[in-house]
Amino acid sequence: MIDRIKKKAEELLRTKQVDLIIGYKRAPDGVSVAPVFIDKAEETKELIWDTYCVYNLSNYLKDFRGRKIGIIAKACDARSIIVLLQENQLKRKDIFIIGVECSGIVDEKKLLSISPQTSELGFDERCRSCKPSKPPIYDVLIVQEGQRPQAPRLEKDPYGSVRKSEAKSISEKFKLWQEEFSRCIRCYACRQICPLCYCPRCVADQTQPSWLSRAHSFRGNFTWNVTRAMHLAGRCIDCGECERACPVGIPLRDINKKIEKDVKELFNYEAGLSAEQKALLSCFDKNDPEDFIR
Amino acid sequence: MPSEKFFVKEDLYNKLEELSKEFEIIGPRELPNKGIFYQSLKNTRDLYLGEGFAIEPIKRFFLKPSEWIFDERFRENKNILEGIPLPADKRIIISVRPCETRGLTLLDKVFDSDYKDNFYINNRKRTIIIGLACNKPAKNCFCTSMGGSPIESRGMDVLIFDMDRGLIAEILTDRGRELFASIGEGLNEGQRRLLKEDKEKKKDLVEKKLSPPEGKELDKIFESDYWEDVSRPCIGCGICTYLCPTCHCFDLVDERRKRLRCYDSCSFPDFTLEASGVNPRPTKKERYRQRVFHKFDYFKKNFGENLCVGCGRCIRHCPVKIDIADIVDKVPGLKKE
Amino acid sequence: MTATEGSPERKRGKDKKDWEPRIVGFLCKWCSYAGADLAGTSRLQYPPNIRIVRVPCSGRVNPLFVLKCLVNGIDGVLVSGCHIGDCHYSEGNFYARRRFVILKRLLEYLGIDPRRFQMSWISASEGDKWARVVKELVEEIKQAGPNTEFRKGI
Repeated sequence: MIDRIKKKAEELLRTKQVDLIIGYKRAPDGVSVAPVFIDKAEETKELIWDTYCVYNLSNYLKDFRGRKIGIIAKACDARSIIVLLQENQLKRKDIFIIGVECSGIVDEKKLLSISPQTSELGFDERCRSCKPSKPPIYDVLIVQEGQRPQAPRLEKDPYGSVRKSEAKSISEKFKLWQEEFSRCIRCYACRQICPLCYCPRCVADQTQPSWLSRAHSFRGNFTWNVTRAMHLAGRCIDCGECERACPVGIPLRDINKKIEKDVKELFNYEAGLSAEQKALLSCFDKNDPEDFIR
Repeated sequence: MPSEKFFVKEDLYNKLEELSKEFEIIGPRELPNKGIFYQSLKNTRDLYLGEGFAIEPIKRFFLKPSEWIFDERFRENKNILEGIPLPADKRIIISVRPCETRGLTLLDKVFDSDYKDNFYINNRKRTIIIGLACNKPAKNCFCTSMGGSPIESRGMDVLIFDMDRGLIAEILTDRGRELFASIGEGLNEGQRRLLKEDKEKKKDLVEKKLSPPEGKELDKIFESDYWEDVSRPCIGCGICTYLCPTCHCFDLVDERRKRLRCYDSCSFPDFTLEASGVNPRPTKKERYRQRVFHKFDYFKKNFGENLCVGCGRCIRHCPVKIDIADIVDKVPGLKKE
Repeated sequence: MTATEGSPERKRGKDKKDWEPRIVGFLCKWCSYAGADLAGTSRLQYPPNIRIVRVPCSGRVNPLFVLKCLVNGIDGVLVSGCHIGDCHYSEGNFYARRRFVILKRLLEYLGIDPRRFQMSWISASEGDKWARVVKELVEEIKQAGPNTEFRKGI
């Protein structure tokens, strides 16, 4: 599989179809993977593809606007590319998507902790509720051959855990999230790693007016986390990068999932399936639910 | 002259329980599925004495993520600026890794030298630090290359060695002696030998090595394209700086009639954005280079040491696996033998 | 009363009996604000707990407005606009409706009492509805109690 990826990447660079390939390479530690940016055909041998390729590389597309970019994309990455196209952040002709069939990636957090269970490699939580293994958009698809590594278990109800949390009492929920948010160090890794957080100037960086407290207090942390989630409403494609990046382990995906579930229930909308679709919050329907309005 | 004491974990827990009446006890605590965090321990048995490393270093108890500097009040029809009273309660931070306290000794050079930062100095004064030597450094640790080691005791009052049969505490200061006066017993000959062997063993535990630039080599490649290449994957978050035991850049903001000092990071574009709209560090290249240069060049010129203790946090927690050790090691033109 | 005594920050929470909710209302200038005005000119009585911020359209209201109120200790927030179909800008309230149903559910998920954030459609002729909505709102928020969740810390 990797040979075909390398071959395709090399061909693209050689024929000048793209200026740069964004892919994966082995990190200096020899196990994990780092993003790599290749502009010379002979360097494509650095590319790799395995279950450690956790990153959503579409995050880097915004760094190279106006250049022709080839990108290696898993199913979830391709969905974020769709949202970027939908929001006119990219030109389709500028990107060449090398879609790769994916059967799940590892849970990096478990790799990090040096608990005894490390020997057992688990698939990331996000892969459990992921439906397609093929990207919904691609220019060339590299399929998996031979024995697949154990495919992630499909959850019957992707929103099971959300439903469970919803059933809790208000004060329980508040206590839970107070504890989670109080750990936030406001490093904004969740924002920076998100392929869909591309505002040139984030509301969190504004000082006049200052919308949210810079203090590492619950007040500021709560505002930040709700703002981030709201801004991704109907856009988040659940690539789970925010939760992976968060150094203090705030379950950000849980919040994203909650909104995803509401959006699906209320508007029958799923983000990142078609670039022609109108973005959720920039359109409306006359029959939108309004039972909450007096 | 340091003295040693031997005791078992149970003794330590009991001692802490007793001390908690007088001191605030802060120590690492493992939160399931989240990691290890330094917290104020209500139950001293929550104390984590294992091999893992806390996510945030103890820096946050000295240079707080956000510190209120002064308060503006409206009294008798006048605006009055009031200083925030410095906290006086004494505290003990226990189970601290050697690299983190070494980080404090570097921060001392910044906040307790020509310029005296009262907030920082007060926090240093009211805190007793009990360290814990590393039994198993993580794969990203490179402290021995940065002048530290798993048994380094600089900046500590007591350093504890976790031996199989119990704990051996090396008492380093008078404060520490006072604290541990009524616990454990002196070492016998065998234990002393064991400790010596253990120290020898631990010294060589760290596998990752790098050779930091010695003098002014970095200056020569300030304009190199190397920085553009290595900073490309950087996403510009603040993890590496916020979790670094030595990064200390801050920002001042006015909020709710108070002035706040909070962490800031050189990886944010706003860090150097000027009011005119000009940003002298406009891209990731300049920003990442700044981080490397501050650690391995500027600080050394000012204070004679690298501003890095080799704790490996920035490598461990970087969402895109940028490895500062690898980058510094591979700086072009610095090839050593 | 001096400025100091009058500052709501000081008055609040000292005595639970005296506690009166503070509510911020974001009212669209074309309908709800005029409706509230009508309630005033018609001498309708309603509780004085609501502070009104006039906005051009309910579609102008950013979720951050609501959040900022709540984390700064406001006990309840009301966003009010024209009835569906009456928007002066044709479709502003349609967007608001979508946006705020998500926010409302999210806040509830994160443990904020759902009574603290509410929406209403009130037209310029519905002075009586305005008075009724405010009355009900104040009653509900009194039951929910003071918003102390964010007061701790800094």
